[in-house]
Amino acid sequence: MLDWGTIVHYFPFLLKATLLTLKISLISLLFGFLFGLVAALLKLSPNGLLRLIGGFYVWIIRSTPLLVQLFLIYFGLPQLGIDLGPFMSGVLALALNTGAYNAETIRGGIISVPSGQLEAARSLGMGPALAMRRIVLPQAIRVAIPALGNNFVILIKDTSLVSTITLVELTLTAQRLIGSTYKPFEMYLMAAFLYAILTTTTSVLLGKLETRIAVERR
Amino acid sequence: MSSPDAESMQMIEIHNLKKNFGDNEVLKNIHFNVKKSEVVAIIGPSGSGKSTLLRCVNHLEEPTSGEIYVEGVLLNDKSLKGRAFQRHLNQIRTKVGMVFQQFNLFPHMTALENVMEAPVNVLKETKADAEKTARELLDKVGIAEKADSYPGTLSGGQKQRVAIARALAMNPDVMLFDEATSALDPELVGEVLRVMENLAKEGMTMLVVTHEMGFADRVADRVVFMADGYIVEEGTPAELFRNPKNERTQKFLADVAHADV
Ligand SMILES: Nc1ncnc2c1ncn2[C@@H]1O[C@H](COP(=O)(O)OP(=O)(O)OP(=O)(O)O)[C@@H](O)[C@H]1O
Ligand SMILES: [Mg+2]
Repeated sequence: MLDWGTIVHYFPFLLKATLLTLKISLISLLFGFLFGLVAALLKLSPNGLLRLIGGFYVWIIRSTPLLVQLFLIYFGLPQLGIDLGPFMSGVLALALNTGAYNAETIRGGIISVPSGQLEAARSLGMGPALAMRRIVLPQAIRVAIPALGNNFVILIKDTSLVSTITLVELTLTAQRLIGSTYKPFEMYLMAAFLYAILTTTTSVLLGKLETRIAVERR
Repeated sequence: MSSPDAESMQMIEIHNLKKNFGDNEVLKNIHFNVKKSEVVAIIGPSGSGKSTLLRCVNHLEEPTSGEIYVEGVLLNDKSLKGRAFQRHLNQIRTKVGMVFQQFNLFPHMTALENVMEAPVNVLKETKADAEKTARELLDKVGIAEKADSYPGTLSGGQKQRVAIARALAMNPDVMLFDEATSALDPELVGEVLRVMENLAKEGMTMLVVTHEMGFADRVADRVVFMADGYIVEEGTPAELFRNPKNERTQKFLADVAHADV
């Protein structure tokens, strides 16, 4: 059955690789949120050209596989003289990808804010940008947090794809250790366990955040 | 651009106002003035265009044609475009307070923060000044003790009083009320009407769309009856309520009287 000796011996290596997975996830999360926010605002802009740009971004990302997007950035861009290296390429692909999904989530949140909120803000002399920033967005993001959290959990799991562009994160570390130990079952089991820890912790923290927001508004 | 009647201290002047929603003519050629410190009540059946008229006065609805002057300044100034027009609107809106039927308090802010929001971010008052004014206003509308509560915890009457304080914090020259008490439980109507009555006594110019005929009779200087997008009849409360000339006014008042019994 399980070779516990291997597990005990190699677990620290995988744990260390999990740190890189976490780092990639957090940076992609941050930029993915910004991309999503900008794209959502573009899609809701009164300007037709801006709407088109936002719509195109969301459409192209959501209608193509993440792996192809990743390869396009890592293998394709250098041909045009843009060589971002594995880390930047990985983070950019992940951020662009999760950003497109965040855009739809945030747009939904913005639309869900009752029109009376914007009217009240405007009637107080707030301009469109100020009203969006101070009144509409804070409410929209609160509404969007469960779905954004879901996108984040998906993002964490998707980071395993960057193992294909030589980023030695959790999945690639497991693969390499298999090369020297010939213990694929133990290694992938540990990797799966560590992904589960990451995603579950994220879900629990997000759940706490949701409850706190709910309490604050009581 | 200044208005034709700028000399006469009109707070609001409306000339030839028309508003269509698609094919639906909601306001048909409205002429209408409000003097400084005047309290005007607008009454009329549902769908007659009362809210639309009120919302045109701070450009929440864009008139299809006609002119609206606020303190002598043309609101829908077609010579201004884009950002210049937004700035123009914002400037006028700081002088026109609006209170909505559904309160529209900002749910992610406490009562105090709701009241401070626009003075700090629009008028650029310091937080300390804005908070001082906000607390005074909350006290004035009788809910100083709810300053740190979120709207979700307040009753309808309390919410509406916060909303009035929020509008007053901009130090407006005119206040618009769109059925401010219609969403309230009957026992909470009085507390809001009292706040409005006090404002009127202090000389605030007020344009009040209401179904509270008693309030209109007691507080308004003038009552305007609207039907089908027209101003059908206007006059002092005594004239309009006790001696209505127009048949439609008579019928409306009779219907309302029956509903009250
Ligand atoms: N945004 C809109 N789009 C289309 N039609 C509208 C819109 N707002 C109002 N209307 C229509 O305009 C007419 C007048 O509406 P308005 O809300 O001004 O009436 P009201 O006198 O305030 O009625 P109530 O007493 O029910 O509040 C109605 O027929 C309404 O359906
Ligand atoms: Mg109405």
